[in-house]
Amino acid sequence: MNEFEIMDCVLLTRMSGLPPALNLRELRDRIATCHPDVIYHHFCETTLAPSFDYPDYRNHFAVWAKHSLGDEILAERLGIIDPYAYTSIEDLRTATLEIIEERLSELSIVPWARVGHEFHFMKAITVVFDTGERIRHPDELDSAISRMTNGSIYFHILEARRRVPLGLDDFSAWLQNLEGDWSHYVHAITAIDVIFCTLHELQKDLVRELKLIRGKKRKKP
Amino acid sequence: MKLSLDAYENIAGSSVIQQLRRLGEKLKNTRLVHINSTREGGGVAEILAWMVPLMQDIGMETHWEVIKGNTEFFTITKAIHNGLQGAPVLLKKKDWDTYLEINAQNFQDLKEVLTEAEIVVIHDPQPTPLLSLCSERKGKWIWRAHIDISHPFRPVWKALKPFVQKFDASIFSMNQFAQPLPHDQFLVEPSIDPLSEKNMDLAPLELESVRAEYDLDPQRPLLVQISRFDRFKDPIGVIQSYRLVHKIIPVQLVLAGGGASDDPEGKEVMEEVLEAAENDPDIHILLLPPDAHRTVNALQRLADIIIQKSTKEGFGLTVTEGLWKGKPVIGGDVGGIQLQVIDNHTGFLVNTPEGAAHWIRFLLHHPGRMKEMGKTGKEFVRENFLLTRHLREYLTLILFLLREGRNHTIMV
Repeated sequence: MNEFEIMDCVLLTRMSGLPPALNLRELRDRIATCHPDVIYHHFCETTLAPSFDYPDYRNHFAVWAKHSLGDEILAERLGIIDPYAYTSIEDLRTATLEIIEERLSELSIVPWARVGHEFHFMKAITVVFDTGERIRHPDELDSAISRMTNGSIYFHILEARRRVPLGLDDFSAWLQNLEGDWSHYVHAITAIDVIFCTLHELQKDLVRELKLIRGKKRKKP
Repeated sequence: MKLSLDAYENIAGSSVIQQLRRLGEKLKNTRLVHINSTREGGGVAEILAWMVPLMQDIGMETHWEVIKGNTEFFTITKAIHNGLQGAPVLLKKKDWDTYLEINAQNFQDLKEVLTEAEIVVIHDPQPTPLLSLCSERKGKWIWRAHIDISHPFRPVWKALKPFVQKFDASIFSMNQFAQPLPHDQFLVEPSIDPLSEKNMDLAPLELESVRAEYDLDPQRPLLVQISRFDRFKDPIGVIQSYRLVHKIIPVQLVLAGGGASDDPEGKEVMEEVLEAAENDPDIHILLLPPDAHRTVNALQRLADIIIQKSTKEGFGLTVTEGLWKGKPVIGGDVGGIQLQVIDNHTGFLVNTPEGAAHWIRFLLHHPGRMKEMGKTGKEFVRENFLLTRHLREYLTLILFLLREGRNHTIMV
């Protein structure tokens, strides 16, 4: 049986080099042309970057629309975007631009942010560590996950989706390649709504669901 | 000072220490030099006091050098500092000449160590021209700005920028502070050392002894602002807030801070504060020596509410310290305070003395909320603003600079 290699990761945030956006039109223009890593950072890396765990929305664009532009309608539309529902960053970019352009067409005045509240475009370097720890059997998953850092959870559940096989977490990809039927574990992992959890909550949900399945398996004669 | 990473395992977790050790293996024997302008007083010196020994502990050959200067030099660099934070200061050509001349004198003392270093980190504007003087440098140089330069006074930034843009990378505490520069700009928030004298747990007996020493009444609420006596920290605004609250609730206020050898303005500001306090027995203005860390720790722990009503703030480590002690913080809605004070969760952000007074009264009437906020704040600091995260970001940044590749993922 192939072993699952537990990795850990941290982010190093840096400026993208783009000028900040002062209004919604500038936000649209910058999103249209920025590097894909910038879009990825503001949608996906938000969970691992140092910040308060319970923002109004999970992506920076929605948070900015609400707090700096004062546009709650736009914030709600951007806030519900699930970045992992798109197969590529380009599709995510297109969907985001569509929402912003629709909002611009509805407004008679372009909303502006106050000085000091501009949108700053950033990106990050991901530093990945091999922890040296391994999972040898699917039944060890829940206890292994319970000991993981936020970085490991992020890397194997969220960051994994931008790697091949695209859109799939590392645990499910590993389970699918093992001999035997581990689909009940895969279903439990993929059924969790990853967007609205903090990494700590996500870890707790994973451990609970996997433990439940392992318990049920044991009870079977 | 001898410090070991292992001492932080109980607070930060073993996986965090393991990450740092692994990074240390990659950077073993790397020669790194930190340069700043004071060994005591202020946030930069406090950070370097733990960062240097911890970098040594993981195997890096780390040095900390402090540039020397006279009062004239530090008056000029304080004006540069104020100008970078937006104050319209007047700096004449002869001031800039003195600034360069003193840096040139320091370079003669530091030439060998700067030339040979693989990484040089220059903290804040005081030693910034050293890079231009080091024509035979071998390593990568990083400019670390600890202050809020989101809206610098243009003539000051214009004069300093030619020195800054020669660096290989710069580090800011917040994205708002980044400036158009022709090199990589990284964002690294500062942090506190939870085991230092400033932040370690203290026995109740020691707290009571500090309370008695400064004649603080245990029966009445205590507001505390710890900071250098600096106009950007708005100590006068804090006194105004206190007066608005004192009309209704008999609060006490402590304004305490130390001096620093690179801050000649402190005495003048303290005199202004004493005048504003008008000998009010419930306003305690304390000029503490730079090593009075345990006293500061005790005052923060004795406080009901921590105030940091700055009008400009690079990060505000005193906010972090207050949150770590489980206190709600009322902070100015500026700079790094915005990263730490989350309205209604860890405290309140304010723009005026009236705003601060409003939320002080609110909190004093809702002790349950104060307790909840204190708990949230402490966990928030544990997750985000302890030295282990800070050190890890420096190490990854150094690794990134020393490697040739520029991929978005680095395998360690």
